[in-house]
Amino acid sequence: MIRPEVDLSVTLGRIAMKNPIATASGCSGYGEELARFFDLSLLGAFVTKSITLKPREGHPPPRLTETRAGMLNAIGLANVGVETFLAEKLPALEAFRVPVIVNVAGSTREEYVEVAAALDAAPAVAGIELNVSCPNVKEGGMEFGVEARTLAGLVEAVRQKVSRATLIVKLSPNVTDIAATARAAAEAGADALSLINTLRGMAVDGWTGRPALTNVTGGLSGPAIKPVALYMVRRVWQEVAGPRGVPILGLGGVQFVEDVLEFLRAGATAVAVGTANFVDPETAPKLVEGLREALGRLGCGSPRDMVGAMDLPK
Amino acid sequence: MANEETTRSVDAVRPRRLDLPVVARHPLGHGFLRLSLDAPPDWLSLPGQFINVLCESDMAALAASEGRDAEVEADWPRATGIELIRRWPVVRRPFSVSRVGTMADVASPGRVAHEVGRMRLEILVRAVGTGSRFLHSRPVGSLLNAVGPLGNHFAPPQDDRLCILVGGGCGVAPIFGLADHLADLGKPCLCFFGAKDAGDMPVTYRRTPEPTGSRIAPTEVVEEFAEDDIPAVLATEDGSAGFRGMVTDALEAYLRDAWKGEPLALFGCGPTAMLKALGAVAARHGLPCQMSLERFMGCGIGVCLSCAAKRRDPSSEKGWTYRLTCRDGPVVDAADMIWD
Repeated sequence: MIRPEVDLSVTLGRIAMKNPIATASGCSGYGEELARFFDLSLLGAFVTKSITLKPREGHPPPRLTETRAGMLNAIGLANVGVETFLAEKLPALEAFRVPVIVNVAGSTREEYVEVAAALDAAPAVAGIELNVSCPNVKEGGMEFGVEARTLAGLVEAVRQKVSRATLIVKLSPNVTDIAATARAAAEAGADALSLINTLRGMAVDGWTGRPALTNVTGGLSGPAIKPVALYMVRRVWQEVAGPRGVPILGLGGVQFVEDVLEFLRAGATAVAVGTANFVDPETAPKLVEGLREALGRLGCGSPRDMVGAMDLPK
Repeated sequence: MANEETTRSVDAVRPRRLDLPVVARHPLGHGFLRLSLDAPPDWLSLPGQFINVLCESDMAALAASEGRDAEVEADWPRATGIELIRRWPVVRRPFSVSRVGTMADVASPGRVAHEVGRMRLEILVRAVGTGSRFLHSRPVGSLLNAVGPLGNHFAPPQDDRLCILVGGGCGVAPIFGLADHLADLGKPCLCFFGAKDAGDMPVTYRRTPEPTGSRIAPTEVVEEFAEDDIPAVLATEDGSAGFRGMVTDALEAYLRDAWKGEPLALFGCGPTAMLKALGAVAARHGLPCQMSLERFMGCGIGVCLSCAAKRRDPSSEKGWTYRLTCRDGPVVDAADMIWD
């Protein structure tokens, strides 16, 4: 078989990615940490940890524990705040010559808007990803991303202040129907959707009764959540993203080239690597090369041709 | 190499992911095992730095170490050989580099035939959980997947003051390498080692250590320090070897009875309770003290933020900030610590 020349490039909103592999928020720091292991420009995009208006110390440790085939974390959005991020972290990231997507978190709609506006004004920011799994302090602590109307209100407000950067909404899997929140985000002006964020979970020592995390509950990530992520990507692609042409950044337990192929087939345009970075910081660049070979083997010239391509039972 | 030059070179080293062959195993009793690992010739690290070890080797390495055919999935190259689904523990485990040197000059009991030009790292592993028991099971010739060198390191004093090295339990690991390093720099050293009882000490005795009750008696019984003639004060909780009591009580007694007030530098590594007590001793006597912290780590490279520990920070409103043990540590100035 003559293998076609593989062109790995994809487009996520207005972000031209040289390949569909990105890092996942919260698992890749500010870039400088992983850059000690590989050249970040090999990536399709780099997604930062969550940035908030003011610096945050995060939750008291322990903040992370292992679970079967996964990890549970409650870091508490520890970050330097948008001002320091723009002044110190962004210039360093820019030097790596990789499209930068900045994840944004907040506890009020106004906070999200202020941070997003400041980031939109920085040309080095290619994309803004909204972490909508944060409690809305003005509305009784309910997460922004669980109820379609609240989510739409947030995305609309941010959209008004974000005119240049690609606006991505990172959907929470802790919902009754992910298509409903995906639709709300798309209608409110999201350029792209990323899914899934972590699943809410808990770990407790059965002998002592002590929770593994100070915060008691945390977000479950890693291979344990991959089937849930694949299902949700598929559903959102079928119901919302596909019909509207809104691309999906898929994530949740990606570790191997097979995982990337699976996410593409489910409907993702690009794929992010999270938990696997902790065990092997070089996972993402290896996936880029692995994907090139896999697509060649499949006789597929571009990952774009794989998006949504499942061989369903007749 | 001059001290400053070494420090600059080490600080410029990028951590790597390496498969390190086990070249020797030295069981020390009480669940302690000293593992000697063969490292690349250009390995450079200073005492206090650590490696983050995968406690279940990747499938190929595991197969190779067990003499099986590693080519089971040869037709399909995986992006990474580490399969999280089949692994427990999921994340790596950090180990202080206990000693480092060329194969020829790491003088440790049970030394194996060596190849000149190779580097040898030693880690100290106490069997406490799944990960450490896995490491205990690794035979000579098997590979350990490690990321390193990581973290910061102890800073030797600029002058020739006496360096007092205090270790407890498995925390004595970096003390050996620190003693080697300080001795190489010509700094005088005295070690204090604490354990529950005489057998619980992860050292090799040249002869049976004697109980000394409430007396502080530096001895030469520790084989690991023989080459550099570094005296060690042993402290055991049951009094079966050396001072009866906690190692920090032994240090306090030494400072009270033998110290004339000349400049000293304290260095410590051990359980949190010991470090806290050591910090208090240092503060009471106005002595500088560096200590290596132990924390659970998700990544060891500064991205997961799970190993945060409180440190004094006058520039912060609260007076403290969380700093990462893997990146802004593991070595800290005792005076900066806030113990919760």
